[in-house]
Amino acid sequence: MINWKLIAKIMGFLLFIEAGLLMLCQFVSWIYDEGVKVFSPAIVLALVLGVVGVLLGRHAGKKMGRKDGYIVVSMVWVLFTLIGMSPFLLDGHVPDVASAFFETMSGFTSTGATIIDDLDAMPKGLLFWRSLTQWIGGIGIVFFTIAILPAFGVGEVKLFAAESTGPLHDKVHPRISVAAKWIGGVYVMLTLLCILSLMLCGMPAFDAVNYSLCTTATGGYGTHSALIDDYYHSPAIEYVLIFFMFISGVNYTLIYYTILKGKVKKFFSDAELKAYLVIVLGASLICTLVLVLVDSAQDVEASIRHSLFTVISLQTTTGLATVDYTVWPVQLMPVLLFVMFAGASSGSTSGGFKCVRLSIIYRVLKNEFTRILHPRAVTPVRMNGNIVPTNVVQMLLAFVALFVCSLFLGAFVLALSGVDPNDVHPNFDYYEAFGIAMSSISNVGPGMGYYGPVHSWAILSPVAKFVCSFLMLIGRLEIFPIIILFTRGFWKKG
Amino acid sequence: MKIVIAGAGAVGTHLARMLSNDRQDVVLIDADEGRLFRLGSELDIMTLVKQPSSIQGLKDAEVNRADLFIAVTPNVSENLTCAMLAKQLGAKHTVARVDNYEYMKPESLELFKNMGIESLIYPELLAAEDIKASARYSWVRQMWEFNNGELLLLSVKMHDANPIGEKEISNKENLLVGHTLKEIGMAHGHNFHVVAIKRDGETISPYGDEKILPRDLVFFMTTKENLGEIRHLTGKDDYPAVKNSLIIGGGKLSVRACWKLETIHDGIKLIEPDRKRTEELQSLVSPKTMILEGEGYDMDLLNDEGYGNMEALIALTDNDQQNILACVAARRRGIRKTIAQVENLDYFDMANDLDIGTIINKKLIAASHIYRMLLKGDVDNVKMLTIGNADVAEFVVKPGSKVTKKPVMDLHFPYGVNIGGMSRDGKSMLVSGATQLQADDKVVVFCIDNTLKKLDKFFK
Repeated sequence: MINWKLIAKIMGFLLFIEAGLLMLCQFVSWIYDEGVKVFSPAIVLALVLGVVGVLLGRHAGKKMGRKDGYIVVSMVWVLFTLIGMSPFLLDGHVPDVASAFFETMSGFTSTGATIIDDLDAMPKGLLFWRSLTQWIGGIGIVFFTIAILPAFGVGEVKLFAAESTGPLHDKVHPRISVAAKWIGGVYVMLTLLCILSLMLCGMPAFDAVNYSLCTTATGGYGTHSALIDDYYHSPAIEYVLIFFMFISGVNYTLIYYTILKGKVKKFFSDAELKAYLVIVLGASLICTLVLVLVDSAQDVEASIRHSLFTVISLQTTTGLATVDYTVWPVQLMPVLLFVMFAGASSGSTSGGFKCVRLSIIYRVLKNEFTRILHPRAVTPVRMNGNIVPTNVVQMLLAFVALFVCSLFLGAFVLALSGVDPNDVHPNFDYYEAFGIAMSSISNVGPGMGYYGPVHSWAILSPVAKFVCSFLMLIGRLEIFPIIILFTRGFWKKG
Repeated sequence: MKIVIAGAGAVGTHLARMLSNDRQDVVLIDADEGRLFRLGSELDIMTLVKQPSSIQGLKDAEVNRADLFIAVTPNVSENLTCAMLAKQLGAKHTVARVDNYEYMKPESLELFKNMGIESLIYPELLAAEDIKASARYSWVRQMWEFNNGELLLLSVKMHDANPIGEKEISNKENLLVGHTLKEIGMAHGHNFHVVAIKRDGETISPYGDEKILPRDLVFFMTTKENLGEIRHLTGKDDYPAVKNSLIIGGGKLSVRACWKLETIHDGIKLIEPDRKRTEELQSLVSPKTMILEGEGYDMDLLNDEGYGNMEALIALTDNDQQNILACVAARRRGIRKTIAQVENLDYFDMANDLDIGTIINKKLIAASHIYRMLLKGDVDNVKMLTIGNADVAEFVVKPGSKVTKKPVMDLHFPYGVNIGGMSRDGKSMLVSGATQLQADDKVVVFCIDNTLKKLDKFFK
């Protein structure tokens, strides 16, 4: 039995939150005296739908099933996007519905791929809205709501289960609403620190706020179309961003324990963090070496900085860029594709496959080899000293299969849908389609070839834009919650 | 409040569910991974896969910050060990489940307190008390006492209008069935108050036009003096306190039940199939109890022993199905009080529908006992007990609060709220629509579906 009344009620409350966020942007517009009234219709729409939802949900039964949780979470991401795209359409900087939907979905899923060619011409209110969508989406719409509302009432456990990332969920507090407040607190703290650091490095206040929102969300929207290195010429800013991108890719529960509980030992002995560090440092080292040896035009410091920035940006699935990595030696492309796929830690704002899964898979493989030599060995999979239950391992392997299928299917449909042949870049190469699919499903932002950090994705066909939006959504919610809605069993009674 | 529960068995699980619905911070420790995994994805609690008696496990659960530590694993010595450890690690209050009667004696309490265990809980003993209470008021399904037993909340099952296939159990007429509450009030005065009706598994808050139907479970609030009137009106006059009963099964619970019943009974017969156990039982129970060797379904034996003249049948074997069947059969034979032990919670609701008088579930009894203990200890909490989806709460009227301004009927309480009774200057009375509440009155309120929190503004 699906409890539609309760779903309507919760959706209603969530829409009030979106109305509040839009009002914040209206306020920013008003501060910069832009006079754009592009937010009002969206605010009214969100409020009206919110009231309708709450009214429909009167006397709703208190019981929230597993199915209801999945429906709420997947519907809310789509609905937020549908309402959130209207400012872009009304403003006129975004030409069509497909593009506006893409842009907003890319925001909420903290992907960071954009179809806007000239960001510097955009009104400040809209730029702030883009950043804010990333910041909310980074931590999760429902999670954000649970964190700021005093008590959500019902079904937090189920909603949380449908939205949180990673195969294992660690709670910092017995009650989810309290745990969400602590984790939310860590998130806000990181964002504020990032703003402060960027301003100290000489970034203007508005840029600092926006870049910080997008960095801690590992989103990757910015306020300028130019590359960061070309625009600011400030290594300090880049190092600050490197640091905060890296930290945002760490499991927030771990950060909470380290900073607020002083458990530093737990931090450095965490298996996922180790895997994350190994991949980041390994990939950066390869990039630096290749850049220094092959591409000797740059000095060593710049090579290290750009390698670190690019690897961390792609691995945490932020997608900010200091340089155009697509012109780097071709040997590096597989490395970059791998870090895009790997992603950072579970329980962080990053997307992708997540290091904890790689770490578990590594252990599963090791066990399999042990078992070949010792057929009767009992080999449990351990993470941080705890045995990973078999059903979790099984779920993880299913996730691998689903991830790979979605990736290839996405690339195939993208290659079919193609680009406008009259455009600046009429040919669609297979690796570009693959890069876009990878970038979308991992919520990175820039892709490969033409679709790297320098150009926007504006020339994609409308179909391709919707395909990308879908890939972003399933990537952000880790595929299962969305795909399950398309199964027959989900809608079967009983 | 932070509560750590050790042991995710039936008691622990049930408690965790009640407490997390109550928005307490619950940590549940158990060594069984699978059991916790399922619970953790369903309840808003923190689960911890550790042996409850491991020191590191208790530290991970942060028992030093726990207000309450509840040890309810199946193993008594583990319960005692982990409760003691928890106390030493800083838990404020500790509760342990035991299964030894000796431990429950008043003189042992001091001993356990010195060991760091403040409260003990012995489910068999609690269940035995329930059995005794339901034998004494055999026509009542369940009864709760407030204000030193002056104010009573009781649930009574209404008869079927035409019992089909059953021997007529009662020849007295139920004077309430088929009438609306308004009519009942007019005809029988205001010596009791219908606060809720449970019909088809749903608890409803009745208003004047609500009719009482056959098979309803009706919750009455009344004072001690008027108990007899309810009995008369519900047609249960020929239900005096049970004086002799037949107990099937000779387990621990049966022994405790015998001890309790011996004080109010003329005679008890206890059937136990195992010869060795019957010998043990001889030394455990007083001569008032006759011990019979045989099976509970041996009809020849039962008939020989005057099955038809028994006033109550209490089925307490370890086999739920056998207990339920024994009770159903006894109902057909006209035994008016039947009590069955049903340990499997899935059977619990089913057994309720079968019209077995009282169903005893040790785990539920233990869990709700701990829960009530907890509610009493927490001064901010006005809730006294929870029945299904309804809460019973006690409010003290603050001077100048909203309720002192108007008579009850003009206050417009939210739907689902029903004021049962109150005590003023130590005297208990019922509350009717015209009652004007005063400061310092203690009011007992029945609230359905979480309406409890909406009431604060009325009383403060």
